[in-house]
Amino acid sequence: MRFADILRLCVQNLFRRKSRTFLTVLGVIVGCCSIVLMVSFGQGINEQNEKMLTSMGDLSIVTVYTNGGGYGVGMSGPGSSSGSSESAKLDDKAVESFRSLAGVDGVTPVMTLPYTVTAKAGAGGRYIYDSVQIMGIDMSQFDKMGYKLKDGSKPVKDDQILAGEWVTYGFIDSLHNGATRTHADGGSCTYNEATGECEPDKDEEPFFDPLTTPLTLVSGANYVGDPYVQNLYGGGMSGAGSTGSTSGDSQTVSLDLKVTGVVTGDYNKGYATSDGLVMDLGAMKALIAKINATGSGASSSASSPASSSTSATNYDQVLVKASDLSQVPDVESQLKAMGYQTSSYEDIRKSLEDQSRAIQLILGGIGAVSLLVAAIGIANTMVMSVSERTREIGIMKALGCYVRDIRVMFLTEAGAIGFIGGVIGAALSALVSLGVNMVGMWLAGGSGSSFLGSGSGGSGGDLSFWTLLRDAVVGGEDVTRYSVIPWWLYLFAVLFATCIGLLFGFGPANKAVRIPALDAIRNDR
Amino acid sequence: MIEVRHLRKEYPTADETVVALEDVNLSIPRGQICCIYGESGSGKSTLLNQLAGMEKPTRGGVRIGGVVVSRLDERELAAFRQRHLGFVFQSYNLMPNLNAVENVAMPLMFRGVPKEKREAVARGILRRVGLGKRLTHYPTQMSGGQQQRVGIARAFVAKPEVVFADEPTGNLDSKTKLDVMEMICSFARDLDQTIVLVTHDDNMARYADRIVTLLDGRVVDDRLTGN
Repeated sequence: MRFADILRLCVQNLFRRKSRTFLTVLGVIVGCCSIVLMVSFGQGINEQNEKMLTSMGDLSIVTVYTNGGGYGVGMSGPGSSSGSSESAKLDDKAVESFRSLAGVDGVTPVMTLPYTVTAKAGAGGRYIYDSVQIMGIDMSQFDKMGYKLKDGSKPVKDDQILAGEWVTYGFIDSLHNGATRTHADGGSCTYNEATGECEPDKDEEPFFDPLTTPLTLVSGANYVGDPYVQNLYGGGMSGAGSTGSTSGDSQTVSLDLKVTGVVTGDYNKGYATSDGLVMDLGAMKALIAKINATGSGASSSASSPASSSTSATNYDQVLVKASDLSQVPDVESQLKAMGYQTSSYEDIRKSLEDQSRAIQLILGGIGAVSLLVAAIGIANTMVMSVSERTREIGIMKALGCYVRDIRVMFLTEAGAIGFIGGVIGAALSALVSLGVNMVGMWLAGGSGSSFLGSGSGGSGGDLSFWTLLRDAVVGGEDVTRYSVIPWWLYLFAVLFATCIGLLFGFGPANKAVRIPALDAIRNDR
Repeated sequence: MIEVRHLRKEYPTADETVVALEDVNLSIPRGQICCIYGESGSGKSTLLNQLAGMEKPTRGGVRIGGVVVSRLDERELAAFRQRHLGFVFQSYNLMPNLNAVENVAMPLMFRGVPKEKREAVARGILRRVGLGKRLTHYPTQMSGGQQQRVGIARAFVAKPEVVFADEPTGNLDSKTKLDVMEMICSFARDLDQTIVLVTHDDNMARYADRIVTLLDGRVVDDRLTGN
């Protein structure tokens, strides 16, 4: 028999019992819909998790530190030096050895300037950022580490420096009584009484453009902060500030720098990338040496950092970038085997992943149960169909129909029920998913800027139907979708429903095959 | 064409074994219209089932055109039926969801003949049995005589060498019976086909070239009618 003929007979037979076929297909539709929607909710959770993780920064970064060295404290006191003699040292040799590890893209030591520094900019240094954080990294690893420039270019000379993305907002105006400019960090909003809505804050212009404004750093071994700022914030600090300035030996180092670029903020690659200054390691070592010189005779406690400016520097921490997220655990275990402490977001990522997988399994299980019920429906329909058509099957066999063809015929019927149910179910779940997303977005959009999505810019109140529809279909950076159906889920749903149909049609089909031709010949009917 | 040798068929029941056929020997040449005649329970239907390979014999064998039917497996049997055998049933046994043309074309469909070709053949043979105006009617829309004519058309559509007819007129009125028998015989003569006709009706048996009478599973009479 040709397959076209089998298909034609199969359609005829399905149409013969319209209501029964319809009800069975309906069962499959419901089952397919529930499994697709359940998985899509799981996918929605996944999407939100991923967004959350990306907002946390570059997840492929592993931070390496020694047992003694604190996390970002940047001190190599006597206690820690004895500790590091037991464990591995974080020096240039170690950095080189990290580079040769498998799955490592880039390695850079990270130094934080261990002195209080004030940055000044503008005419006469009117803009002041007291206690600015300065980070030293290996600029040759800049690209490999995944650092990105928002503007400008990398520094090439020692008097050149990079600004953190938001560092300009940290400056105060000493001529305007310490006025500041604020940066709206997403999410935040101000209640507007006129409209009765919370309107998202808008960024104010910073005082100056870092790329065109020269910076001056002021520091010293005993430097405690800018006198203006000390006075401005007064209180107990003023006393300390006055003693600092009156102690006489307040030798300061002043360094003129040129900002060549603005680095994109990423907390995972150093706080200074967002609210600080980033300079080359070599330049920082030179700066430290210079500052140390100012306090050489002053205090012995300040001499201990001097050792860290020599070529055999023990770094506070080293950042290692894995070539891929999947390499992170591997790289971490290699580093741990070398005797270092590591930290990364891998644990968080993993636990989030496990959690969402568990949720997906539960949701998928619920969906699977309803599809199983539908499958039993298919089996029931096919069993009925076979027993109704016993005589016809006998006739076909008597007339020389191959057993194989009869089996294929019944399997095709069962598979067709599954396929049709699967297709309609997938289409229906697409609509339901769309509706859920749109209602969800509308609710989120109506109740303030966006609680779940991260800052939907200016589109607070004007959520038209079409923007909702577009966002619900394609998603987006600032869109929270509760139900996400990837293309493979549709394919999977249709295939799965068809296979379920075939599987549960197999028994009845075999039953049909075993009906003897003799049944048709008998006259006693 | 058909050779039956020492055929024996038993049906084991709970307390005794019923012997339906006992040492039947029969030889039907090509082109002969052979009537197997007997009262009900004489074993004539069992013999037909044996000849058509519907059941395996207890002993002995059936050979059609050199092929030992009783030794074929299910698949070979299906292929053999497609090529060499046709059936006319007492209760017509048409497929209720297929119309006249589709019913007649069914044996050709099993062979894999394309739809247009097989339905053209089916339409031709339906016109010959006088159903040219009922080609697209469904079995429920036709009388018993019309249904049986569709059944006959179906049995002959593939031009089989042997056609088995099991009480083909059993459910028909006396006038239609004659039409149906005429039709079967005319097809058989045209194509030089062998017909095995099972009946308990004397009037029908008269159409045959030869009448084999069965009684209690044995051949008790075997004579040519001189047609």
